[in-house]
Amino acid sequence: MMRALCDTLCRSRFLSSCLAAVVGAVLVAREARAVDDYPLGPDSKVQEGVPQGTVTKLSWTSEKVYPGTVRDYWIYVPKQYDGSQPANVMVFQDGGSYVKPDGDFLATVVFDNLIYKKEMPVTIGIFINPGVIPAAEAGQKPRQNRSFEYDSLGDQYARFLLEEILPEVGNQYKLTNEASGRAICGISSGGICAWTVAWERPDAFSKVLSHVGSFTNIRGGHAYHALIRKTERKPIRVFLQDGSGDLDNVHGSWPLANQEMAAALKFSKYDYRFEYGDGGHNGKHGGALMPESLRWLWRTAPAAASK
Amino acid sequence: MIRCAVIAVVVALLLPAGAGAQDMSVSSVLIEGQGWQLIADGYKFTEGPAVDADGQVYFTDIPNNRIHKIGLDDKVTVFAESTAATNGLMFGPDGLLYGCRNGDKRIVTYDKDAKVQTIADDVNSNDLVVAGDGGVYFTDPPGGRVWYINQKREKRIVAEGLKPNGVILWPDQGTLVVTDGGEPVLWTFRVERDGALTNKDRYYGPLQVPAAGGGPGSDGMTVDAVGRLYVTTRAGLQMFDPTGRLGGTILKPHPGPLANVCFGGKDLSTLYVTAGDKVYKRRVQATGVRYARPK
Repeated sequence: MMRALCDTLCRSRFLSSCLAAVVGAVLVAREARAVDDYPLGPDSKVQEGVPQGTVTKLSWTSEKVYPGTVRDYWIYVPKQYDGSQPANVMVFQDGGSYVKPDGDFLATVVFDNLIYKKEMPVTIGIFINPGVIPAAEAGQKPRQNRSFEYDSLGDQYARFLLEEILPEVGNQYKLTNEASGRAICGISSGGICAWTVAWERPDAFSKVLSHVGSFTNIRGGHAYHALIRKTERKPIRVFLQDGSGDLDNVHGSWPLANQEMAAALKFSKYDYRFEYGDGGHNGKHGGALMPESLRWLWRTAPAAASK
Repeated sequence: MIRCAVIAVVVALLLPAGAGAQDMSVSSVLIEGQGWQLIADGYKFTEGPAVDADGQVYFTDIPNNRIHKIGLDDKVTVFAESTAATNGLMFGPDGLLYGCRNGDKRIVTYDKDAKVQTIADDVNSNDLVVAGDGGVYFTDPPGGRVWYINQKREKRIVAEGLKPNGVILWPDQGTLVVTDGGEPVLWTFRVERDGALTNKDRYYGPLQVPAAGGGPGSDGMTVDAVGRLYVTTRAGLQMFDPTGRLGGTILKPHPGPLANVCFGGKDLSTLYVTAGDKVYKRRVQATGVRYARPK
């Protein structure tokens, strides 16, 4: 059967030239750009003459909201911060991934470049890792609190930021208390966590950046698109990034979940942007988009609900 | 093949911390074509499945005051009579069968001849777990407490203010998990060196609840060697991964109640569930845990 089909196809000069054209086009396209190939642009690279902010690594033991957890966090302070005015704030989940100089995001390099060009305001970055409950005895594993903190719906993580981390950083630096000057960002479960913080406390955070966000049923987050449609619009500006190669597993389909989120945000007339590429569950596309997404989030146009 | 492995390692190294969204699904535990198999029937209310050193599973028939033993040949025999409504059971590292003998308000051990010794008295109890060092945690639902009995057989309250039912330790015994049938979560605590419980949190959740309403009815639990946790509920046997995320629900073997679960069989790779008047078993691709004695 197959052989007969081949014979028929090959006998037809028209069909074979069509086939050759298609194969050629695919090859050219492949050469031009591979799937999930998102190189970083100049705003993600250290530029000569651009002042670099400082990054300080610290650790935090929670006593109130996630008692017993320990974690690392980093504070980025741009060179332009002089303490005369309250700085804007941007919080990053999985902070280590966003702050490291050989990572996908190089967030502090992007901050340096955009703040220097006045394409985003003077903003202090707080890069926080998820908590760990250390083991009591040798040979035991520490309990990883990441999924519990990031995937759970509710206001616990927002309270952690508002009652523990922001006051602590605020002891040292003058930070804004305005929601319009506070943004939050994360990847995967850290992405849905960013959304949850703003959804629970839009009075405290108004800007969300989600990379391959887990709006799936890890711990009930698949409900958000339905909630967005049936809840009065909240004053949140949100940038979502996902790709067609993202996860499809027992918790859900990441590409479909992000498309559902985008459709719901559109339906409820949110100030949102959705960048849907062909990447997988990683930070490549989100990293390449970092400068553009920060420009868009921090642009001076008011958020949708306050229009 | 080697190249695939190398690529996989490289990819794993490149993934950001955010890549923890990978799953541990219930289908990776179940064996295609292997469903629940009825082992024993005709009891009043079965509970407390517990595996001995050979892989034989013991269970209690609470209202009938008997503890039964399921042989490796699936034959059921009576192990103990007049058990005073003994509920939760587990074998300790000393080979004794520990039991919540709630009818006479005691925590006891049964030796191989079913001879009873008291290790705590004047307590309500429902379920227990025996650690590798011989310490025992048991739940006290009427008191809303979890108790700890140390190696010297001194008891004390280590958690309060919850409605506890089932109780289990992680394979490394560093975390204790407690069910509360009205809550859509399972409570976790850090286990301190002296047996104290700290850092209570809603680590596992949300549990599936029946669409008709009410709580999950979470009851007994067991863990496997890779840290997955299995909990009996009204919706079925729910399985969680070690980061507290629901991996899926294994269907109940019958429409009636599902009270408790353990791993049994020679290789500890068969799930046993006590389910109302019956006991069922099912082969799975997972292996249970015997808590190690401290070195």
